Amino acid sequence: MEALLKTINLTKNFGGLSAVSNVSFSIRKGDLQTIIGPNGAGKSTFFKLITGEIKPSSGQVLFLDQDITSLPQTKVSHLGIAVAYQITNIFPMLTVLENVRVAAQSRKTTFNLWSKALNHKALAEESLAILELIGLADFQGDTAANLSHGDRKRLEIGIALATKPKLLLLDEPTAGLSPHETRQTIELIKKIAEGLTIVLVEHKMKVVMEVSNTITVLHYGKLLAQGTPDDIRNNEEVRRVYLGGVKC
Amino acid sequence: MEEQVQKQSWWPKLVKVVSDHPLVFIILFFFIIPFIMPYKALATQIIIWGLFALGYNVCLGYTGMLSFGHAAYFGVGSYTTGIVLIRLWPNIWFGIFCGMLMGAITAFVLGYLCIKRRGIYFAMLTMAFAQLIYFLAFQWVDLTGGDNGLRNIPATPVTLFGYDLHIYEPLRFYFFVLFFVILSLLALNRILESPFGQVLQAVRENEPRAKSCGYETTNVRWLAFVISGSISGLAGGLHAIYLHFVGIDSLYWTTSGQVVMMTLLGGMGSFIGPFIGAGIFLYLEDMLSALTSNWMIFLGVIFVLCVLFFPAGVWGTIKNLSTRKKD
Repeated sequence: MEALLKTINLTKNFGGLSAVSNVSFSIRKGDLQTIIGPNGAGKSTFFKLITGEIKPSSGQVLFLDQDITSLPQTKVSHLGIAVAYQITNIFPMLTVLENVRVAAQSRKTTFNLWSKALNHKALAEESLAILELIGLADFQGDTAANLSHGDRKRLEIGIALATKPKLLLLDEPTAGLSPHETRQTIELIKKIAEGLTIVLVEHKMKVVMEVSNTITVLHYGKLLAQGTPDDIRNNEEVRRVYLGGVKC
Repeated sequence: MEEQVQKQSWWPKLVKVVSDHPLVFIILFFFIIPFIMPYKALATQIIIWGLFALGYNVCLGYTGMLSFGHAAYFGVGSYTTGIVLIRLWPNIWFGIFCGMLMGAITAFVLGYLCIKRRGIYFAMLTMAFAQLIYFLAFQWVDLTGGDNGLRNIPATPVTLFGYDLHIYEPLRFYFFVLFFVILSLLALNRILESPFGQVLQAVRENEPRAKSCGYETTNVRWLAFVISGSISGLAGGLHAIYLHFVGIDSLYWTTSGQVVMMTLLGGMGSFIGPFIGAGIFLYLEDMLSALTSNWMIFLGVIFVLCVLFFPAGVWGTIKNLSTRKKD
């Protein structure tokens, strides 16, 4: 089957530092792939290159066989790529429901000045369904800034889902979560993975090994290894640079 | 204990009712202020400046853009209305409409040049362009009267079904202005509750995220800026008719500063705030300037104290106080 997303020799240099260098990566529709690597390996930069937030120094990004390398961020979003950021990136003073609703609205209308937002019932229903999915329906009227860290991380995923992506990029969705919350988030990822293609960046090996079909290892911006969880577990080089003492 | 709770509970409830139905209470309030102000013209001045601050608040309070150049849209609106009434067609509706339109056009053009910058750069750019317009008006004596201002704006009669409304009498003029203020309030309320209004708030809260959700945030901010400019232009036009005169200082940066002060004083991000801010500012100005010619010093001190101790503005502070008990 054809790749949904493909990067060809993607490179980004910040001055003399090459944050991402020559990464060729591809993911098929319906797959869940994980990218791992030590801090500073270029994982977040790699995501930003895909979404058009920053432009690569060289290389190409193909999405649905279309070259999206030089497209602006908003266009990429409308093609169907969404991100849930590592550093929680929500609309703090809006309510939980409004956070998701405004993201869902981006698929429909921006410059509609003369109708009541609250009368768009379909949007509200859609947003409520997402809140149910991420387990925040009970908090729909709360100001987002007052949520706990774990709930905010899930709202972050909810905002990304609300834009109805074809490809979802999850940047460390379990960072800073308690074991219980991590469990919830793993379940959530498994649930949404059923109908969605997902690229996941993660540090917790337990999460990685449990959810992913394919693992890609980045090291100093370079692609180090790629394979099934078992391949990666047994790969000598990966163990040396990354897994080290981690049991998995 | 229970008694105490009951005793305290009436005013937070009142505040909640007011902030849930701001329009109803503002409009009620409008029918009272001409009778509680020392003279009617002051009330007129308050709602004109309140309208200006309301337009400014679309920028600052709802979209999060700190503009230091709103004198440009207010002043251009004033001059346009004045010049149209003097030279083109002495029809008050047409004059006011032209003022509003020119405010919007000016904001459209200057907005295009400023909107791509953020924060302090945006503030400085808006201020620089506003000063540019000020000097243009200052030099273009044939059109604007230069330093002397635009004089002798005619008091054209306003008729309704062939009946002269005699609007140039303080109380009637107040209600004439109020008509425009209420129309703008209803229109703005509609816009802010629309899907576009939601996007505005998203942009204020977190522009990068709004962008990654797929919104063209630059265009969103630009349109908000134009809406803000048109309301400012409308306020300017009404001010010209109110004074029968346009002073060059209406374009000066002090006018921009004044509207920022009023908005901050009253509280951003609400309908009520700007009017409270304009009311307090102009009332104090009126009172203090009768006592001393150095009234600016006292107003300055009050402003500094307000910003230090009530950063949410008068209305914001009242609202916070009323909800604090619950936590």
